[in-house]
Amino acid sequence: MTVKKFKLFLASSIEKEEQWLTEMSQKGLHFTRYRFGMYFFEENSNISYIFQTDFRPKADDDYFQFYRDAGWKHVDNALNLFHYFRTEKDCTGVKKLYSDEESIKDAYNRMITYYMSLFILLIISQIGIVATWEGYVMQYVSLSIVSIVVVLYLYMFLSFRNKMKFFRKER
Amino acid sequence: MSKQPEDYIPLSQATYYILLSLREVRHGYGIMQDVEMVSKGEVSMGAGTLYGALGKLEKQLIIKKVHKEGTDRRKYYTLTSLGKCVLQLEYRRLTSLVENAQQIINELGECKDDGEKI
Repeated sequence: MTVKKFKLFLASSIEKEEQWLTEMSQKGLHFTRYRFGMYFFEENSNISYIFQTDFRPKADDDYFQFYRDAGWKHVDNALNLFHYFRTEKDCTGVKKLYSDEESIKDAYNRMITYYMSLFILLIISQIGIVATWEGYVMQYVSLSIVSIVVVLYLYMFLSFRNKMKFFRKER
Repeated sequence: MSKQPEDYIPLSQATYYILLSLREVRHGYGIMQDVEMVSKGEVSMGAGTLYGALGKLEKQLIIKKVHKEGTDRRKYYTLTSLGKCVLQLEYRRLTSLVENAQQIINELGECKDDGEKI
C-alpha cells in the first residue's frame, strides 16, 4: 500500500528530513518517491532502512555508481539537486554519507553558495517591478509573494549560519 | 606562484589514508576498502566524504584521473608526483612528531584517570 504525506523542509534542515524518513522506515513506511513536497511511502514491516540526503547539483554516472558500490541505493531526487539514498539498517558499513566534520562543512558550504546565487538572481529579477511601480493590484500581489520567498531565504541563511557556527565552536 | 607540497601539510586523517591507498590505481569503492584494510578497521569513510575529497584532491593536482579501457562507468585515480611528495612530506612530519616525543612519553609513566578536575 502506498501512503502519501505532505511536508516541506528548507535546504538547511536536511538532517531533520533524513531523521524523519529514517523514523518512518522504522515504523514500516519506506520512502520511495518525492514530488513537490509530497512524500510517497511503501509499507513493509519486515525491513528498516537508514535514509541520507545528499546535495549534488552535478550528479553524473560515476557519482551514482560510487554510492551504489558503497552500499547506498538511490531512491529519488528533488529538483535534481537533492539525492535520496537508503541503506539497510542491519548491513555493515558506514551509516552516514559524511563521516568527518570537514566534509560536513564542505557539504553545507556547497548548499550556501548555490542558494546565495539563486537569492542574488531573485533580487536582481525584482528590479523591474520596482522600476515600473504603478501601484497595480497585480504588482502588490507579486511583491508580497516575492517578500515571503525572501523571508524564507533569510531564515534559511540564518540557520545555515548557526550550523556553521556550531562546527566552529566544536573545533 | 604555484603551490608547494608544504602548502598541503598537515593532511586530514581521511586525506592521508586516501593518498596512501592511491599508491595503486583505484576507483572510489576500492579506495574505501583499502583504507579500511590499511587502517586495520580504524578508519571507515562515508561515501560522500570520499567523493568530495577526491574532487578536491583532483583540483589541487594531488591526484589525477586514469583512463581505463572498457565500459566501466567508474572513475579511476592515482597519485601525481606532487601527491607523492605531499604524502612523503606528511609521513616525515608524523614520524618526527612521534620520534621527538618518544623518550618523553616513556618517562611520563602510566596514565590513569585519578578524577582530577582540570
